[in-house]
Amino acid sequence: MTNKTFILQSSPHFKDKDSVPKIMYAVIFSLMPAAFASIYFFRLKAVVMLFSCVVVSLATEAIFLWLRKKPFHSLLDGSSVITGLILAMTLPPSLSLELAVIGAAAAIAIGKQVFGGLGHNIFNPALVGRAFLQTSFPVAMTTWIPPVTAKINTATYATPLANLKFEEAVAQGTLTPLKDLFWGNIGGCLGEASAITLLIGALYLLFRRVIDWRIPVGIMVSLSAFTGVFWLISPEKYASPLFHILSGGLMIGAFFMATDMVTSPISPLGSWIYALGIGLIVGLIRLFGGFPEGVMYSILFMNAFVPLLNRYARPQILGERSKR
Amino acid sequence: MPTKSIGEEFLKGFWKENPIFRQLLGMCPTLAVTNAMINGLAMGLATAFVLIFSSLVVSSIKKLIPSQVRIATYIVIIATFVTIADRFLAAFFPPISKNLGPYVPLIVVNCIILGRQEAFSSKNTVGRSLIDAFGMSLGFILGLLILSAIREILGFGTFFGFQVMGQWFKPWIIMILPPGAFITLGILLALALQIERKTKARR
Amino acid sequence: MNLSARMIAVLTSVGLLSGGFLSTVGLLTKERIALNKQKEIEEAILAVVPGTESSQKLYEEKDLSIYGGKDEDGNLLGFAIHASGVGFQDKITLMFGTNASLTRITNLTILDQKETPGLGAKITDRESFLKYWENKDCSQPLSLRKPPAISPEDLSSSEVNTITGATISSESVLNTVNLSLERLKRLKTEGKFAIEERNAN
Repeated sequence: MTNKTFILQSSPHFKDKDSVPKIMYAVIFSLMPAAFASIYFFRLKAVVMLFSCVVVSLATEAIFLWLRKKPFHSLLDGSSVITGLILAMTLPPSLSLELAVIGAAAAIAIGKQVFGGLGHNIFNPALVGRAFLQTSFPVAMTTWIPPVTAKINTATYATPLANLKFEEAVAQGTLTPLKDLFWGNIGGCLGEASAITLLIGALYLLFRRVIDWRIPVGIMVSLSAFTGVFWLISPEKYASPLFHILSGGLMIGAFFMATDMVTSPISPLGSWIYALGIGLIVGLIRLFGGFPEGVMYSILFMNAFVPLLNRYARPQILGERSKR
Repeated sequence: MPTKSIGEEFLKGFWKENPIFRQLLGMCPTLAVTNAMINGLAMGLATAFVLIFSSLVVSSIKKLIPSQVRIATYIVIIATFVTIADRFLAAFFPPISKNLGPYVPLIVVNCIILGRQEAFSSKNTVGRSLIDAFGMSLGFILGLLILSAIREILGFGTFFGFQVMGQWFKPWIIMILPPGAFITLGILLALALQIERKTKARR
Repeated sequence: MNLSARMIAVLTSVGLLSGGFLSTVGLLTKERIALNKQKEIEEAILAVVPGTESSQKLYEEKDLSIYGGKDEDGNLLGFAIHASGVGFQDKITLMFGTNASLTRITNLTILDQKETPGLGAKITDRESFLKYWENKDCSQPLSLRKPPAISPEDLSSSEVNTITGATISSESVLNTVNLSLERLKRLKTEGKFAIEERNAN
C-alpha cells in the first residue's frame, strides 16, 4: 500500500525482451550476407571501406559522447556500427578512403549527434552521410568500377540504372539482365552488388520481427505500380517494374534504411503512407528526374514527414469516439 | 534612459547583441551570399551603408514621425538607401553586383535594419544611434566574414580567392551550396551558445 | 494640425524627398550601368570572333541576339550569337562565334549560369569543356561524345566532349548552340542581314 507508485511515461507500455542492443545486433547480423557478397565482388576495396566506415562512425560517436559528457556505454549499443556499415554499403567501391572517412564522420555528427543522439534524429544518419558526400563530391560518388568477378577491362563502368537513364538501354537492348541483378555481378554501390544476399538478411529480420513488413512491401507496391503503368504503355522505352525493384539501392533502401526504427512511423497507417510515398518518389526520380537513382533522396524526404505521420495517423484509442 | 557607456554601446554589436549569432537577424543574406568571402564582405558593407544612413536619418527626424506611420516611414527611408547601394554596385562593381544578384535589393527586408530603427534610433540621440549602427554593422560584417571564410575554405579551398589548401584537398562542394550555409550557421550558433553559457557560469 | 493630416504630410514629404534623391542617383548611374552591359557584350564578341574591331547588332528576338563582328576595314569577320536556353538548374546564357560563311564555330563562352558548382558549372571552365568548342565544323549540327573525354585532336570535327557527371548541363549547351545555329542559317538564307549585302557589293 505504502509503496504504490504510478509509472509516468509515454507509450508503449508493454515491454518485451527486445532491447536496443539486441535489435541492433540482429540488424548487423542480417547485413552480413550482403557484406560478404560485396567483399566477394570487390575484394580488398570492400573490406577497407566497410572497416573504415565502421571505425570512423564509432570514433565520431565517442568524440561526441565525450563532448556532451555522456556515458560511453552507449557506444556498444551497435547503432553506430550499423550506421557505418550501411553507409559503406551505399558508397561506390572506387571511392577514395578519405572521402569515406568524411562521410562517416558527417553521418554521425550531422545526421545523429546534433539532434541529440540515438532516438532523436529525424533523418537516417547513414543516408545523411551519403547525401553529404553526394553533394560534396558528385563526380567521385558517381564513378563506378566493375566487380572483380566481371571479366571486363574498363576503368569506369555504368550502373544498370545509369545505363537505363543515359544510354537508352531499353531501346538499345543493352539493359542489364534481371538474372545478374538478382544474383550479383553488376556495377554499383557495395551493397547493391547482389539482391539475393540482401533478401536473405531481410527475411531474417522479418522473421524476427525486427522490421515492419509494411514498409518494404509498400515501397515495392507503389514503385511497381508507378513504373508498371509506364512499362505497360510503352515497353520499348521503359524498364519493367521488376528491373526497378532489383536494381540500384531499392533493396537495401527498402529493407534496411527505410525501416530504421527511429526514423520511420510508429502506426501501421503511418507506415503505409510513408512506404507508398517513398516508392512513388523513387519512381518519379528514376523516370523523370535528373539523377538515375532516387532511393536516398526519397527516404530522406519521407523521413521528414514521420513526425507529422506519427501525429495524424495514430491508431484510434480504444473507446475513443471518432471526431466525424 | 541611456545607462550604457559609449564604448559599451559600440561593442555590444560584436558579441552581446551580435545580429547574427545572438539576435539571429538578417538570416537571408547570412545564408545566401556567404559562399565566398568577397561576397560576404560586399554584402556586409552594403548593409552597413544602409544601416548607418537609415539610423542617421531616422534618429534625426524621429520627433516628426507620427507613431502610427513610423514603420512605413522607416521602410521608405531604408528602401531609398538600399536602392542607392544597389545602383552604386551595378555601376561601379558589376561583377559583385552580379554575384549578389537579388540579395542587394533584399536588404530592404533585412530585419537588422528595421529592428535597429524600431528598437534604438527612434528612441536615442543621433550620436548614440550612429555608434549603435556602426557597432551593429561591424558585428554583422564580422559574422558574415566568419561564415564565409569557413565556407570558402572548405568549399573552394581558397581564402579571399587565394589558394590556401594544398593540391591534396578535394573541395567540399556542399559547403558553397545552401545546405552548407545551414550546417555552418548551425554549428557556429551552437558554439556561440556554448561560449555564452560558459562565460555566464564563470561570472 | 490633426493626426491624419500630419501622417499624410510626413509620409508625402519623406516619399517626395526619397523620390527626388533616387531619380538623381538613377540619372547619375544610368549611363555607367548601360556602358557596363555593353562592355560585357563587346568583350564576349571579341573573345568569340577574334580580331573584331567593331560590332553591330544584326538581329534580335527572345533569347537570341546576333552580332556581326567586323575588322577595321568593315569586312565581316564572323557572327557572334548571344543565346540562352534551359540548363539543369536555371537558364544558361552563352555566346559563340562563327566564321562569316557559317561553316565553323570559332569559340564559345558562357556568360551567365547557375549550374551546380563543381559539376554543371564546369561548362564555364575552358580546360574541361570550352576548349573542345574551338574551331568546330558546324555545317551539320554538333554532337556530344560520351565520357571519358578524349583529346581535342582525336574528336571528330563536329563532336565535343561531355563533362563527366554533368550530361544534362552539357546537353543544354549543345542544344542551345544547335538551335540558334539553325535559326541563324535560316535567317541568313532569308537575307535578313543588311550588313552582308553591303559587303557583297
